[in-house]
Amino acid sequence: MDAKTKTALRIAATYLVLILFCVIALYPVSQIFTISLRPADRLLSTSLEIIPKDASLRNYRALFTERPFALWLVNSTFVAFVVTMTGVALASTAGYAFSRFNFIGKKLGLLSLLVTQMFPATMLLLPMYIMLVKLHLINSYLGIIIMYSATALPFCVWQMKGYYDTIPTSLEEAGRIDGCNRFQTFYKVILPLASPALVITALFSFMSAWTEYIVAAQILQDTDLWTLPLGLKSFESNMGSEWGLYGAASMIVTIPVVILFLSLSKWLVSGLTLGSVKG
Amino acid sequence: MTKGAAIVNSSSMDSRRLHILLFICFASFVLLGCLSGCKPKKEGKIKITIWHQDRIDIRLVLESQLQKFMKLHPEVEVEQLFKETESLRSGFIISAIAGQGPEIVYGPADQVGPFQVMDIILPLEDLFDRAYLDQFDPKALTYYKGHLYQIADKLGNHLTLVYNKKLVPKPPTTEKELIAIGEHLTQDLNGDGKPDRYGLAWNYTEPFFFIPFMTGFGGWIMDDSGKPALNNPGTVDGLKFIKDLRDKYKIIPNESDYEISDLLFKDGKVGMIINGDWSWSGYEKAGIDFGVAPLPKISKTGLWCGTMVSPKGFSLNANISEEKKKWAIELIKFLTSDENELEAATILHTMPTKRSVLASSFVKNNDIMKNSEIAIDHGRPMPVVPELRAIWDAMRPSYQAVLGGYKTAEQAAADMQLDALNKIKEMNE
Amino acid sequence: MTGQKIKTKAFVAFLVAPAFLVLIGVVIYPFIFNVVISMSNMSLTHIKDWRFDGIRQYVKVFTEESKPNFYGIFLKTIIWTIVNLIFHVSIGLFLAVLLNQKDIRGKAVFRTILVLPWAVPQLIVALTWRGMFNYEYGSINLMLTQWFGLPAVQWLKSPLETFIAVIITNVWLGFPFMMIIALGALQSIPHELYEAADMDGASWFQKLKNITIPLIRPAMVPAITLGTIWTFNNLNIVWLVSNAGEPSDQTHLLVSFVYKAAFNFYRYGYGAALSMVIFFILLAFSLTFMRRTKATEAAY
Repeated sequence: MDAKTKTALRIAATYLVLILFCVIALYPVSQIFTISLRPADRLLSTSLEIIPKDASLRNYRALFTERPFALWLVNSTFVAFVVTMTGVALASTAGYAFSRFNFIGKKLGLLSLLVTQMFPATMLLLPMYIMLVKLHLINSYLGIIIMYSATALPFCVWQMKGYYDTIPTSLEEAGRIDGCNRFQTFYKVILPLASPALVITALFSFMSAWTEYIVAAQILQDTDLWTLPLGLKSFESNMGSEWGLYGAASMIVTIPVVILFLSLSKWLVSGLTLGSVKG
Repeated sequence: MTKGAAIVNSSSMDSRRLHILLFICFASFVLLGCLSGCKPKKEGKIKITIWHQDRIDIRLVLESQLQKFMKLHPEVEVEQLFKETESLRSGFIISAIAGQGPEIVYGPADQVGPFQVMDIILPLEDLFDRAYLDQFDPKALTYYKGHLYQIADKLGNHLTLVYNKKLVPKPPTTEKELIAIGEHLTQDLNGDGKPDRYGLAWNYTEPFFFIPFMTGFGGWIMDDSGKPALNNPGTVDGLKFIKDLRDKYKIIPNESDYEISDLLFKDGKVGMIINGDWSWSGYEKAGIDFGVAPLPKISKTGLWCGTMVSPKGFSLNANISEEKKKWAIELIKFLTSDENELEAATILHTMPTKRSVLASSFVKNNDIMKNSEIAIDHGRPMPVVPELRAIWDAMRPSYQAVLGGYKTAEQAAADMQLDALNKIKEMNE
Repeated sequence: MTGQKIKTKAFVAFLVAPAFLVLIGVVIYPFIFNVVISMSNMSLTHIKDWRFDGIRQYVKVFTEESKPNFYGIFLKTIIWTIVNLIFHVSIGLFLAVLLNQKDIRGKAVFRTILVLPWAVPQLIVALTWRGMFNYEYGSINLMLTQWFGLPAVQWLKSPLETFIAVIITNVWLGFPFMMIIALGALQSIPHELYEAADMDGASWFQKLKNITIPLIRPAMVPAITLGTIWTFNNLNIVWLVSNAGEPSDQTHLLVSFVYKAAFNFYRYGYGAALSMVIFFILLAFSLTFMRRTKATEAAY
């Protein structure tokens, strides 16, 4: 088989596999879309149609007219934005330190980051609540932003460190020779090269804040402060959930995530990396 | 040009962006600091908070009644907060233990047990006068360990037989009629070998939805002293009956949890469903012409299948301040006034708790309310002891094992009893 | 050079301190609280007046005659974690490699669609999957019988099938994350390495084994380590798809067991002890894993 046929086969096979996985990824999501279009709050249905016969956009309208969905959107966006910014700032710097320097407590520090993830969150609720009450952080955004940043940081720091590890230190030396001080080397030379990891940090921090329910439910008592997960939970009852609204809300809630991913993903695969500087 | 400088130059565009990003981050820190300190406080008003797990229809009625209250008493601000049932219970426990929490917690009576044991709700009999309390149907006042802990404005949470009038013109009164109607309805309409329509469907894998059949065959979950008594003929016969419905008479689907049975009924693919008062409005929205009937009588025992009936009412947080206590009591009295209870009953079809409202023409004459009342009459009050949880949890595995074919009904009943005793022991250590 | 050394130390502190301050405040206190409670008798009857009880709760965790018992659930949790991770990482890496090829068009579209399982709210998606596994009305059985002529599977009736159903759901939910990590990790591999290998006539498998996998390791190890820990502790999916442990309380992981003990039965002391046990298991794993992959050191 000559090279051209091999390539053509490879490309065809790639497309096939990708399309197959896309269908698998999409199908359950399309079910949610169907739920949002179905009247009378049916989670399931006996028909396999994606657009049901009695489809209506009533649920989408009701989200904004009958429920304070817009308010929840604004609240969540604010919280997620701040958490993302904090996460990126703190993780990019801390990760750098762990990657480049050896200091007392480094190993312990890295380990303790991991340790924070090992507890089932439900067991931490009571002490967390007590602590936040004492600090007067109950029912405030500062409270949950701190919690969210704390839970997202460990992964982000580790991820940044791992990525920095793949960038050779010779680059920083080159930067120093050209007259940059340490900080300039960091944010002019190294940081751009680590952009894929920064994207992952941003995405992860965002998702942590955007979708978190348990902590928010315990801390936020004012309905005016509700974030999206709390709002969505209010559609749910043990028996008799408002699936139509829930489905519509789920679809809308996914959109900012997709937009964020789309806009950031070009930096995920930037390729502006090592290829140009090795040697 | 050295490599370093090359990199610096080529990445200056990105570094500027990063510059900006980092700046925004620090700016938001500052902003955040300001924001959390500057929340405007409504000056001077006394704030009362109610936590509940009510579905949306009830919330809307509650909100309008709260607005009325606030107009009458402008110095008070009342806020309602919805929490899903489990979150409500655990959230209230966590908050109350930390000295916080809402002034009033509203929910089904079975939350009284654990709350009382944890000492986070107040006894109420000294806070409301006798004349007021006598206006209530006794089922609405929940006493535990000798004290009143909850005053209910709604009675129910009970299961009823809901039937599709198009498929089932007249509801069954005995289980034999039920089976007959079921067999008549369960048909394979499109010839693919599988039934496309069933006579009956309900969340039969959940113990709460099994209880009516246990009582119909003469059993109950506890003895008079409150200890579990699951190993009784009612349990065994009830289990066998349900298994027969699926395997012998084949009138219920193979797998049917809450959502599936709900869906089948809404799609018109099942004639009858066993569901509670919370579900009726959903069927109305789905356009089903439905009727409500009490669950049937079991011929063998002559007993009606009786569901568990539970009041839903108000309890006061043990951390409540003296000043707010006064207002909380006023609020509870307001929400349980005859006028407000009748309004709620009319809109929501929930059963009220004041004697005068129960005697009103609406409750006596409305079709759904009439049948609902009969169902409640046949039922038994749900125990409020914390041990009830252990009983549910002990019942579930053995019950599902019988349905899965791994255990006989007799064995299951015996196992349930043992499990319940064990779990209660663990709970109370 | 002491001036330089101090400057270095200050720089390091500047980088690391903010993150640590937050973490200490937010995590250390609950951790200590949990340790204390795990050695107490905090439960329904002793919620405000609990006292120190020694290791009694720990003994209970390991010896209690509960159905299901600790070791059974532990084994299940391990299997759950390993199977999930294997699929998450292999599917994620596979898709990332496919998407990293230069001559494929529409990559942005593919990437975005493939990330959807991660982006959609978990509750409703998990319940949708549960519906898809229904014996009579679920799409999966409908597809099996109508398109493939296979007999329908009783997905949610027996413990093994339910376990598989929950795993399938979680794999679907988890591969996008690993795909994103892998995509990022692939960027750090210089193209010349592949070009050089091509010139030497290496097969795709050799390239994968000798170039790709070793070089993406530093970037993927954090995700795999943490992914393992998260999967081990993943309560949501198991709870939702199996409807809280059905059939017969067989579909449980250690975490859902903790949840049930603490929140359904108010056995806070027991729940705390079980959480500590989970913690030690995961700690042992992480230490071993990190030592083998030398993850705490730099790669170059």
